[in-house]
Amino acid sequence: AVGKTHGVPPSHVAKYVPTTSTSGVGQTWTCLDGSKQISWNAVNDDYCDCPDGSDEPGTSACPNGVFFCKNVGHIGSTIPSSRVNDGLCEPECCDGSDEAPGVCPDKCKDVGEEYRKVMEAERKLRKTGSKIRASYIAFAHKEKKRLEGGLVDLEQEIATREKEVERLRGIAKRAESLSAKELERKKQSPLYQSLLTHYTALKSLQHEYKQHLEREKALGDILDALRTGYNPNYQDMAVLEAVRGWETLAGLPRINNSPKEDKKEDEEDGLWSAERIERELNKLLNIDHVSLLLEHEKVVDEPSSQSILLDVTAYLPDSFIPPYLAFREKLLSWLELLGIKAGSSDTSSEANRARQALSDAEHSLKLTQEELQTAHEDLSDLFNPEGFGTEGEWKKLDGLCLEKDLGEYTYEVCLFDEARQKPNKGGSSFSLGKFTSWNKLAEPGTPEYYTRQRYTQGAKCWNGPQRSLELILTCGTENVLLTVSEPEKCEYQITGTTPALCLPVEDGKRDEL
Amino acid sequence: FKSNDFKTCAQSGFCRRGRALSARALAADLSWRSPYSIDPSSVLLAPDQASFTASVKSALYPEVNFGLDLRLHEDGVVRVRMDEIGGLRKRYDEAANWALVAPPRISRDISWKVGKNAVRAVYGEKKNIEVIVEFEPVRVVLLRDGVEQIVLNDGGLLHMEHFRTKDDAEPVAIPEGEAQTTLQLNNRAWFEGEEQDAWWEESWSTWTDSKPKGPESLSLDVTFPNHLHVYGIPQHATNLSLPTTTGPDAGYTDPYRLYNSDVFEYLPSSPVSLYGSVPLMHAHNAKSTVAIFNAVGSDTWIDIGRTETGTKTHWISESGILDVFLLPGPTPADIIAQYTRLTGTAPLPAHWALGYHQCRWNYVSSDDVRSVQKRLDNEDMPVDAFWLDIEYSEGHKYFIWDKKNFPDPVEMIKDVEALERRMVVIVDPHFKRDSSYPVYKAASELDALVKPKSGSGEYEGWCWPGSSSWVDFFNPASWDMWVSFFKTKSVDGQWSWIESTENVGIWNDMNEPSVFNGPEISMPRDNVHYGGWEHRDVHNINGMLFANQTYNALMQRSDPPKRPFVLTRSFYAGSQRFGAMWTGDNVGTWEHMAIGIKMVLANGLGGFGFGGSDVGGFFGNPDPEMVVRWYAVGAFSPFFRAHAHIDAKRREPYLLDEPYKSILRDMLRLRYAMLPVWYTAFKEMSTTGIPILRPQYVVFPEDAEGFAIDDQFYVGSSGLLVKPVTTRGATSASVYLSDPQIYYDYFTSHAYPAPAKKVTHGRTVTVPAALHEIPLLIQGGSIVPTRERPRRSSALMRHDPFTLRVALSTEGSATGGVYLDDGEGYGYTNGEFVWREFGAETKKGGWGKGGELKIWSKDRATQGGSNDVAVYNPANVFAKSVSGVRVERMIVLGVGSRPALVSVNGGSTVEWEWQEGIGSGATTEGKAGVLVIRDPAVGITSDWQITVVF
Repeated sequence: AVGKTHGVPPSHVAKYVPTTSTSGVGQTWTCLDGSKQISWNAVNDDYCDCPDGSDEPGTSACPNGVFFCKNVGHIGSTIPSSRVNDGLCEPECCDGSDEAPGVCPDKCKDVGEEYRKVMEAERKLRKTGSKIRASYIAFAHKEKKRLEGGLVDLEQEIATREKEVERLRGIAKRAESLSAKELERKKQSPLYQSLLTHYTALKSLQHEYKQHLEREKALGDILDALRTGYNPNYQDMAVLEAVRGWETLAGLPRINNSPKEDKKEDEEDGLWSAERIERELNKLLNIDHVSLLLEHEKVVDEPSSQSILLDVTAYLPDSFIPPYLAFREKLLSWLELLGIKAGSSDTSSEANRARQALSDAEHSLKLTQEELQTAHEDLSDLFNPEGFGTEGEWKKLDGLCLEKDLGEYTYEVCLFDEARQKPNKGGSSFSLGKFTSWNKLAEPGTPEYYTRQRYTQGAKCWNGPQRSLELILTCGTENVLLTVSEPEKCEYQITGTTPALCLPVEDGKRDEL
Repeated sequence: FKSNDFKTCAQSGFCRRGRALSARALAADLSWRSPYSIDPSSVLLAPDQASFTASVKSALYPEVNFGLDLRLHEDGVVRVRMDEIGGLRKRYDEAANWALVAPPRISRDISWKVGKNAVRAVYGEKKNIEVIVEFEPVRVVLLRDGVEQIVLNDGGLLHMEHFRTKDDAEPVAIPEGEAQTTLQLNNRAWFEGEEQDAWWEESWSTWTDSKPKGPESLSLDVTFPNHLHVYGIPQHATNLSLPTTTGPDAGYTDPYRLYNSDVFEYLPSSPVSLYGSVPLMHAHNAKSTVAIFNAVGSDTWIDIGRTETGTKTHWISESGILDVFLLPGPTPADIIAQYTRLTGTAPLPAHWALGYHQCRWNYVSSDDVRSVQKRLDNEDMPVDAFWLDIEYSEGHKYFIWDKKNFPDPVEMIKDVEALERRMVVIVDPHFKRDSSYPVYKAASELDALVKPKSGSGEYEGWCWPGSSSWVDFFNPASWDMWVSFFKTKSVDGQWSWIESTENVGIWNDMNEPSVFNGPEISMPRDNVHYGGWEHRDVHNINGMLFANQTYNALMQRSDPPKRPFVLTRSFYAGSQRFGAMWTGDNVGTWEHMAIGIKMVLANGLGGFGFGGSDVGGFFGNPDPEMVVRWYAVGAFSPFFRAHAHIDAKRREPYLLDEPYKSILRDMLRLRYAMLPVWYTAFKEMSTTGIPILRPQYVVFPEDAEGFAIDDQFYVGSSGLLVKPVTTRGATSASVYLSDPQIYYDYFTSHAYPAPAKKVTHGRTVTVPAALHEIPLLIQGGSIVPTRERPRRSSALMRHDPFTLRVALSTEGSATGGVYLDDGEGYGYTNGEFVWREFGAETKKGGWGKGGELKIWSKDRATQGGSNDVAVYNPANVFAKSVSGVRVERMIVLGVGSRPALVSVNGGSTVEWEWQEGIGSGATTEGKAGVLVIRDPAVGITSDWQITVVF
């Protein structure tokens, strides 16, 4: 039989003393939960009497008991009673007290020494890491200053730009009202109307074309995803047919087979390539019609310097021309006087220029406003527990891309941005998701909270969910990815280290104590 | 389930012909007469044994010769064989050679008597069994006590399509107006039909079967004139008592089919073929159980119809000889003994294989495996095996580790083995066609791969690795190759799996064989195996040979050998000799949970009791309630493995929230506590064939109310009766009890006493079944040995003490037993084991003052009077190694009054505690009186007697 306090943790040893029963017949002991009084002999006698298992601290008799090994020379440890007397020497009990005497050697001297070495190395690592971390925090503070300084500048700039926009708006308004009527009239030209119809037709075609392209791209992506990621466990030959069909159509090499010769597609002469169509079409569609109308006026007017509408001479018998011309001259001067016809066609382009200037200024203003908003957001994220940490220690790593090459794929995680799986032998890369949150199972602000990052809403798996990633980080002196795994289909797990997790070592206070 | 992937009877030429034959017979009614008859002058009795041969002629083809061969075995089994003699070709006649464990011993005592119209033999201890082989038409009858039990060709559907040439078979052009000729030419149509339906070629879906041998199907009707219940012919997802497939109230419209198939998301109620085939059918009534074993290896369809008093069955096979065994019974246990005498009993498995198996497609890396082990240990949940599915292998080249994820396979295996656990790794029968793959290369060089219909080269099909070829285990050259592959050290420079250990178990999957781009997801039937046999001839046997050779290879891996563990998906009659099976790719639904139990029961009746279904369901994401209930099903399955599809969420027991997690821990621990019960039941199965899980009718063959019950079962002969809950939201369960005996709730000791008066029918009791409760009763009269200390793995329990639950019967007695050995080697065959028998008896006025209850332990091996122990020495080395193991507790249920004293071996007294309650003879329900004897400290290997004095 083992000693009565065998397996009892130091904090409880005082409770393992017998009481002499009132009847005076032998010694008794009360289960720690107070539920039962038993004979003192029944303590550690390899039979479970107490519902809480407290009478068998040193045996395996109680199903949910715990066993304490002293591990003199190392640190004490607790194991479930199911590991006591099972024939195996528990690594947690380096003193071998979990098994019958003689079964397991006492290794605590060596184990303790090794442990202290490991702890020291870890402490050093953390010390070095925490220095780097401190630099990250400093960076965050600098960032804060920079952003705050930037805020003032930006606000000033916005004020200036707002004024400028106001000014330009006035000019544009005036210029426009001057030319608007004239322009409206010119726009009645069948040529212009036809131009508009052409424009709409082209625009619609381009839209359609783009939709088709997108659709084809999407289909291609789906088929690519199917081809590289299809799940043969469905044993579906129809899927295999689809993959094979796609490979033939897209001229891809067959997976699992030697690549086939590339087929070069014939190009027809005289027709534009897809790139050129795109380019020319964009050029055509980007032409300002009003400018074009005015340009056209210039060209057409040059010989007659008249609008075609007023050039009636072409329809008149020769004998009528001289009196008509005289009349026309008069009429024009009246019109000019009355402000019905612009004296020079340049008024319209002036309005144009004014409009352009206004639009440019407005755009600049918008950009500056956005910049301000981003700066505000950045600033609020900076020391946010749910953003870059309470001390801003993660700001430095914002957008930092880490890579791990695993032969077939390289995994890339751009912190706080996006993670990707990039095939090394060519083919499309897949998004594993965008940064969504820290460890949701922990309280924001706690160290545990920052050990996990979730990236979600990545590329969809064939017949499966959207890809996602859990990035598990520990303290280390470098920002580096260590392992990549896919414990469930399309749910990735990457481990790595970062100094951002190396909390400062509190001097004088050893972890192990 | 994709019904388009599999044929119906109407889409299968020979099944169509078979059913048409039966339809013509039905239409002809009384005028129908079998054209087959025995030539009386040809009967030739063997001089010194109970066998004879005779010629059989068909009136349809007088020029064709058939030979009949009848044998009576020593145990009364009748074997009927018929083959075409001197035909154009040879029919496949080797199915029985693969199924039988040894050539059956033919009786030398029984003699056949040749009469005018029949040959007869009378035998049996009471001379009450008679076999009659009638001449015209040929008809074989087995009778007991003058009552017909089994009749072959009673319905005249016997038909062996003889080999013919395509030219001979061409219909002759009939000149018009010659009625006489027409009649003559059609004189077979009444039997064979007018058309040559799918004789020479058969197209289905996108495939064409070239059928080079033409028609060669075999039709046989088997009638059980006095049996209304038939069981067996696994594997089907149906009730245990098989529903009919013909007649007005047919349960199914298609016949049951035996054609090993990889059926994706199979239906939970259907006669379609699944992964395995055991052509054994039991027929049962309250007085007798009989069976037939039809040793055929080709695609076989079985129609079942009911008459007023009995059952008619019709067996239609694509090819092969007629080779049928009639098993005379007369009890379900006798049938199983007779059947396993033919095909072998399951060997005693390694003890660890009875523990909990943690599987998933896939644990993705060696660190993943370590992490799963760690997390189970952190939760103190016991587990014995970790499994690796196909993704461990590089490009699905089995044996070859994917080193990116498994850089250190041997270290990983050893990390698992450090806790006395085991790893099981998958190896499938299809090899990636890649000449740099040593396994494929070796098989290819040996010419040991299945050939295409041309008969030369290598058949190429599609499976996990893409383009694959299949090893042909019918080719004996492959056997040594397979042995050398599994060596952990290379011998003579041959390729061996040196990156494994001597303890790794092997999982043989996809051995139907599954071929993704083949007809019915399998091989073309005109593929060619060793010896020139077509795949159609051997299809159902093929999967067994794979497990057989793996088992053989593992046996030869170490010296001395360790008991191999092989899990197979496909199986055939005899597969029980080579390991365990599981019910294939089930779905995470309640229906599948329920049908899995029935399938395991049915398999047990087919001699293959070491089975289970994937806990949690292979496909899908079961909710926590379903997971918990499924673990209860698993904890009471002979094979207990959790598994999940690659697309399923992880669901290892430690991942569940409370209270589910703790319930699962309790269930796992319950399984481990009961390992002595399970191991003892396996021992019994290995000796007598009797299944681990025993359906109601097997335990109570005379209780007709229990014949159709298949949702509750007894565990071995322990007296434990389980009814797993397989419905959502249950809080209680109804359990049917056949016998007038008291039953106790295992957990609460609540007693369900026997009915006051002896009644002939059974009763139904309601037992609690909330989520944390398993309806589990102990039959009065049982002693159940358990080991109740939680451990991380079963091997770590080997020195733990026992608890004995003594459930007193209405008469105040009980019996039980336990079998123990080293759990791993073959020392037990040399007597290295402990087999105890426990007993309890109430004497001297029962529980009245001065009454006595005695509980004792005896050596079953020396005193049990059984002849199942060949070599035994009570002081064997194993027994010595556990001589220090004690019984730490006895829980006696049904003790109705407070004892005065408990003593051991007539001497020292021990402490005890009595909880008041009713005695085992009580007549009203209530909490049983429970006597807990505290640490009697009696050894598990020694004889002792405890006396309780009242």
